Order: sequence, then structure tokens, then C-alpha cells
Amino acid sequence: MKTEIHFTLNGESIEHEVEVNKTLLKMIREDFDLTGAKEGCGAGECGACTVIMDGRAVNACLVLAVEAEGCDLLTIEGLSGDQNELDPLQSAFIENAALQCGYCTPGMIMTAKALLNENPHPTETEIKAGISGNLCRCTGYKKIIEAIQSVADQNKA
Amino acid sequence: MMKPFEYFRPTSLKEALALLNTYGEEATLLNGGTDLIVRMREGHSSPKAVIDIKHIEMLRKIKVTDSEITIGACVLLNDVGSHPVIRERVPFLAQAALSVGSKQVRNRATCIGNICNASPLADTATPLLALDAEVEIYGEAGVKRIPLKDFFVFVRKTVLKQNEIVTSISFNTNKDAKGIFEKMSRRKEVDLSTVCGTVFRGKDGYRVSMGAVAPTPIRLYKTEAYLDAHDLTEDVIQSACEVAVNEVSPISDIRASKAYRQELVHLILKHALSEWL
Repeated sequence: MKTEIHFTLNGESIEHEVEVNKTLLKMIREDFDLTGAKEGCGAGECGACTVIMDGRAVNACLVLAVEAEGCDLLTIEGLSGDQNELDPLQSAFIENAALQCGYCTPGMIMTAKALLNENPHPTETEIKAGISGNLCRCTGYKKIIEAIQSVADQNKA
Repeated sequence: MMKPFEYFRPTSLKEALALLNTYGEEATLLNGGTDLIVRMREGHSSPKAVIDIKHIEMLRKIKVTDSEITIGACVLLNDVGSHPVIRERVPFLAQAALSVGSKQVRNRATCIGNICNASPLADTATPLLALDAEVEIYGEAGVKRIPLKDFFVFVRKTVLKQNEIVTSISFNTNKDAKGIFEKMSRRKEVDLSTVCGTVFRGKDGYRVSMGAVAPTPIRLYKTEAYLDAHDLTEDVIQSACEVAVNEVSPISDIRASKAYRQELVHLILKHALSEWL
């Protein structure tokens, strides 16, 4: 059974027919080929599926696609600007080597993006708490925290 | 993959109730969905009708008066935790709200959802029990309020009938009252409570509540009575902790043994009372 929904995806107005029993994550990946958001645990523990919905970071695996009606969605693919220039967070992750396998990276960056939008100058403790819903099994988090901190410092400058 | 279902987005309580009446046991309410969607994917829940109540405007508000706070059914845990009046008057509730899951989960999950799930370790349950909160329920007969302590029945069971909807939770606030919430878990963030508890002192005396020590979050009435009858000293704290440990009935499970949980009850109560010596 399908239903029609309307929402904004990375700045573009969308009208879309979607199965009601599909999660937001599946819709983004399968219907729109936006495969940055990943399914890790499928239960809201790992954060690999994090997208920004009406300004808030959410686990796209815990949202039904139909719940996106009227919402403004931002995925990692929508972070770079029109000229394809990288978001400062994306650049910072590269410069700080804040990734290894890369599976957690889109979710981690979207969580960090929402965190910095809400709190442009987080302390290290606030960064740690802020990304606690995103698991990374490679880096040990140190470089991720440094990358986010470096963008927070740019905000200060 | 979730089994197919019909999805409804009512904009009034009346409309939502009509849907509950039409679909009976095969209907489920969808609020934040952070538990329900996992249960549906795992096949523990296979509703024919999913009724999304988030578009009922009146359920999305926090109402504040001089002496009462009312949290609507669809208010997010992060919005409870960041609300300036809640942080000022009942900071221990804000702290409990922010101790549930991750930031992303709290951006979807609601305080009322945390209560209606009726988990023995629901983090917002102990501050709300200690505040003598009342649950407002809408049904065929109109609106009624029942004390939260009478709302929980057993693990994942409440008194809520199939065709009733929790619309809000309310509690009185008093600036002379103090409360302390503590959550003991294996790691600091994104974990379930091994034991959680709230210790509250108001003008009528003490209220102590604990989670993950019985089939539902509970008040520790004997401990409260003991504390009400004594002036606080180190010896009284020690005795009160012994009363509390005997008043709870935790089980051993993957998170902790029964004895360890009893020790945590002791510690939570001791930590809080020591602040007020």
C-alpha cells in the first residue's frame, strides 16, 4: 500500500509515492539513490543512518517514510553547496583523517552538523556527549572529536 | 521488513479515538516510534492500523502555570530536557529526560512514550513518580486524570484501555522542593539504566522512587515514612538505605545481578540524602 507524501529533500521540493511500511532510511537509499546514510544496527543504537529532519538529527531507521510529510530533510549529499564545495565539517574530517572505513562518517558528520547548528562553540565534553549516538569502530573517536573541534574553533574566529 | 499496515494521520483526538474504535486490537498509536518501529520490524508487533498522533496540535505543547507543569503526549524528550521552566523548577526531570538513549533518539522519542511503554527502567518515570504526577487520559467517557503510581501495572503493561489515549502528564511544582535524579548504567551515554532513581524532598516530606528494581518503576513508601519520621543524620541515612534495599525486589539479568542492583539502590539514596545533610 502506497501513499503520497510531500517534503523537501536537500533543498528540492518532492512529491513522492511511498510504501507506508518503508522506513525513511530505505526510502532515501532505494527511491532516491542517496546512499550516504547507512543501516548499521537498524535499532537506533549506532547512528550510521543519521539525517537532519527539520533541523534535528534523527535516526532515519526509526522513522517511517510517511512521517516525513511536510518535513525538511537534509542528508550528507545535501551538505555541499551548489558549486560542490565541501562543507567545513567534511573538509575538517579529511584534514584531520577522522575516518578509516568510512561507514559511520556520513552519520557522524550529520550529527556534528546538527550539534554545531545548535551550539556553535561546544566544549570537548559537549562534543563527546553530542556524538554519543554514533558508533565508530575504527578511529577511537579522537580524530573525529578533533575534526569537529576545529570547525567549532573556526566558528569562534 | 515490516508487515504492511494502513497509516492514519488524525488531526484531532476525536478522529484518533474513532480509528481506535474501528480497528480495535489491531490498531496501534504511533508517537515517536523509536520503540514501536523496532518492534514492528522484529515482528513483535504487527498492527493493521498505525495511528500517528503527532499531528494533533494540542498534544505538542508544554503548559506552565505558577504551580503546575503539563507535558503534552507528543513533546520530545529533548524538548523536556531543554525547556527553561522545567530546567529551573524540576531540573532532575530534565536530567532524566536527557539520559534516555542518544540525541537522535530523543529528537523523536517522547516523555509520554517513555511512560506508556511501561518499562521497569523508564528513565523519566522515577522523577515523575516522585513529583506525584498525574496522567490525563482521553476516551469514550471524556477526560480523566489518574495518578502515575496507579498507571503502571506490570512490565510493559498499564491500565490504559485499547481505546484510550494518554494526552498529557501534569505535576505541581513548588520552589521549596528539591529533587535528585541518578542513573546508574554501564556507560555514561546511550545505555539503559541498571538502576535509576529519584529522591525528592517537598513540604509534605520525602518521596523516593526507583526504576529497574521491580516489574514497574516504584515508590519506596516505607523508606519515605522512615525518612519523614527522622531528622537527617549519617546514621539515619544508613538506616534509610537499609530500609530501601529491603523494599525493592530486583532481578538478576544481563545488566546486573540482584545483589548489585540492591547495592545501587543503597548508593543512589545515600548520594542524594548526603547532599542535604
